[in-house]
Amino acid sequence: MEQKKKFEDWFKHSWTYVTGAILLSFMQIITLAITGHPWGITSAFAFWGSRLINALGGDSYFPVSSENIQTYQAWFLQDPVTLRNIGIIVGATLAALLASQFRVKKIKSKKQIIGVAAGGLLMGYGSSIASGCNIGAFYSGIASMSLSGWVFGVFLFVGAIIGGKLLIRFFM
Amino acid sequence: MPSSKGTNLNRINSQFHWGIIFFFILLAVGLLLSTHSRLISIYWLTGIALGYILQRSRFCFTAATRDPFLTGSTTITRAVLIGLGLTTIGFAGIKFFFATWGLPIPGQEYIQGIGLSTIVGGVFFGIGTVLASGCASGMLMRIGEGYHLQIITLIFFFIGSILGNIHLEWWNQNFVLIPEGIFLPDVFGWLGALGIQLAVIVGLYVLAVKWEEKHDD
Repeated sequence: MEQKKKFEDWFKHSWTYVTGAILLSFMQIITLAITGHPWGITSAFAFWGSRLINALGGDSYFPVSSENIQTYQAWFLQDPVTLRNIGIIVGATLAALLASQFRVKKIKSKKQIIGVAAGGLLMGYGSSIASGCNIGAFYSGIASMSLSGWVFGVFLFVGAIIGGKLLIRFFM
Repeated sequence: MPSSKGTNLNRINSQFHWGIIFFFILLAVGLLLSTHSRLISIYWLTGIALGYILQRSRFCFTAATRDPFLTGSTTITRAVLIGLGLTTIGFAGIKFFFATWGLPIPGQEYIQGIGLSTIVGGVFFGIGTVLASGCASGMLMRIGEGYHLQIITLIFFFIGSILGNIHLEWWNQNFVLIPEGIFLPDVFGWLGALGIQLAVIVGLYVLAVKWEEKHDD
């Protein structure tokens, strides 16, 4: 019983940011070594956006990367990046459950919805034209020793400063 | 509220057993996927590991860029710099290995062109992360933790991404500074590029420490 309690408690400890950074780096390195691509998230959105436009009868020329069109039998397996994104969601659920921290958090106010809708639109648009998000363009871009990653990173900071000012003015 | 079996309140609120069941379900899905392709099950398992790490360490790229200006704290900024440094070393090793064997270097599609789109994209993304209090990875993690709000973020992220992709051709044709991008080792050599990049990261780390000392009052 005591042993079991200790085992359970191990999953409750939160990790430091530095531990997170070290483990994320490890995952990045094995991801590049095994899959031949660094960690990216948003290419999945271009893939499904492209499919949606085509399904609606439009003609899309979205740039879908080679990583996203490895064909497998089942349709939902066509994009491994989507599968990894779902993995991130359920991986967080797993961590939360094991730590007894899983809580369904409902939306509190309309103001919150306006904030995240505007934020989501800006992130979606920005990541599409800059070919990546905080992971693909920033983290993986810089780690790949691409100058584009550094440029994106500098303007990410500029955006965060502007965003902070907007947040204080309109949402606080 | 102790019961006859000796369970206490802490035990009753425990979700640990659900976690164990969930773990085996995820593992079963992984095994099922591996029958299609081993590579695809690796995407699945690495996703789970990434989600687990993000949740446990509360790793947040938004806080890394927002907090220095909003609260003066650079704790998470410094952690991100450590991650950038370590991953750079690993990536450089892999890329150098492939290059010396004359094989195609993996992940070179991440060497992106630079232009107004990089600048506007970065600024938009930066504003978006602060307004939505979460970036792409944070959004996925929050959904996993049970937050409903981030599902709205995800829907609008998707809409924004479609709009951006529709305009992409314009962005790719206008105000492009360096269309093919710059891979730093092409300019400075492998050791030079690695050295310069790590020096910049260390420099930023020192700056982050000083920034926090200055704002710590």
